[in-house]
Amino acid sequence: MNLTPAPVATMASHLNPVHIDAGNRTLAEMQDLASSLTFASLLTDDGFEIVHLNGTHADGGRFASMSSSVQALSDAVAHELKIGTNEYVIIASELGHVIQLRVQGHPIVLAALFDTHETLGKGLSIARIAARRMAELIA
Amino acid sequence: MSEHVVLFAGPMGSGKTTAIRSLSEIDVVSTEATNTDRETADKETTTVALDYGEITIDDVTKVRLYGVPGQKRFDFMWSILAGRARGLLLLINNDAPDSVALLLEYLNNFRDLHSRGAVVIGVTKSDVSDAPSVADYSAALTAASPDQLIPVFTVDPRNAEEMRTLLLTLVASVEMRELLAPAPAPISEKI
Ligand SMILES: Nc1nc2c(ncn2[C@@H]2O[C@H](COP(=O)(O)OP(=O)(O)OP(=O)(O)O)[C@@H](O)[C@H]2O)c(=O)[nH]1
Ligand SMILES: [Mg+2]
Repeated sequence: MNLTPAPVATMASHLNPVHIDAGNRTLAEMQDLASSLTFASLLTDDGFEIVHLNGTHADGGRFASMSSSVQALSDAVAHELKIGTNEYVIIASELGHVIQLRVQGHPIVLAALFDTHETLGKGLSIARIAARRMAELIA
Repeated sequence: MSEHVVLFAGPMGSGKTTAIRSLSEIDVVSTEATNTDRETADKETTTVALDYGEITIDDVTKVRLYGVPGQKRFDFMWSILAGRARGLLLLINNDAPDSVALLLEYLNNFRDLHSRGAVVIGVTKSDVSDAPSVADYSAALTAASPDQLIPVFTVDPRNAEEMRTLLLTLVASVEMRELLAPAPAPISEKI
């Protein structure tokens, strides 16, 4: 739950050329680190896709909306249980793992789908590097 | 203790989250995110998954209140939550462009719930825009489905008493339907 919403950028991220460019660079670098990355997306907290990688695997717009709901529900659970800030969301399925996390300081979420050739630990560390990179590029 | 599940639906900014916060006796579960679509509704946050609250109405009846996101991009949440509900409280903001057509569109999105449950319409923000009138909405609803009578009220979601009246009307209607035609346990449905 986002009780204190992050400040709204002057322009929505999905329309902001600087954010779109930074997003494309971030995801391309992420792909270089992991060939098991089958799909990745950066989205606004309210579910608008900023950019995606490997679009053939999923409907980007719909995935962004769902990621945004999942992120908010997970935050709500962490809030309800008073267990501090929600750092990652992991959906571990038979044929792939979805890992989601926030880009610190921005109302932006990174969501990545890895195939099961990647261990969860490696996926997490790559996702963390990418989120930090995105924050750096749009700081 | 009997229990009901009621769904709050309607366009972005019609006051679903506000209404549930006015009514709920428990801390509401909310999933607000920073709103980037300021054109549709000029407000800080928007619901991206659900609102959840609870209210006990006559000491023996507990009502679970679920709110959905108004934006159509989140319609998978509509399907998930509509499957649990037997009552629909549809809020329509009177200042929305072409709000009568918009109401019919939203009602149609929840037609499965409508066909097996009860519906009440709440027209909000009539202090912001005084047209159309309740009669205009009623006429359109009757034209769209002549065999059904759907009650339409004006309401301010910020006002707990007004919301309570609306909710009681809906719950009475749900109970009436259950008496007339006991329904099987709610199932997950596709809108
Ligand atoms: N003036 C006026 N303001 C209202 C009225 N009803 C609601 N509002 C305001 O309109 C806004 C409604 O916002 P929400 O309750 O977040 O709307 P929502 O339907 O949950 O919207 P989404 O979750 O984005 O779909 C709030 O700022 C309310 O205070 C009304 O009848 N009159
Ligand atoms: Mg809401």
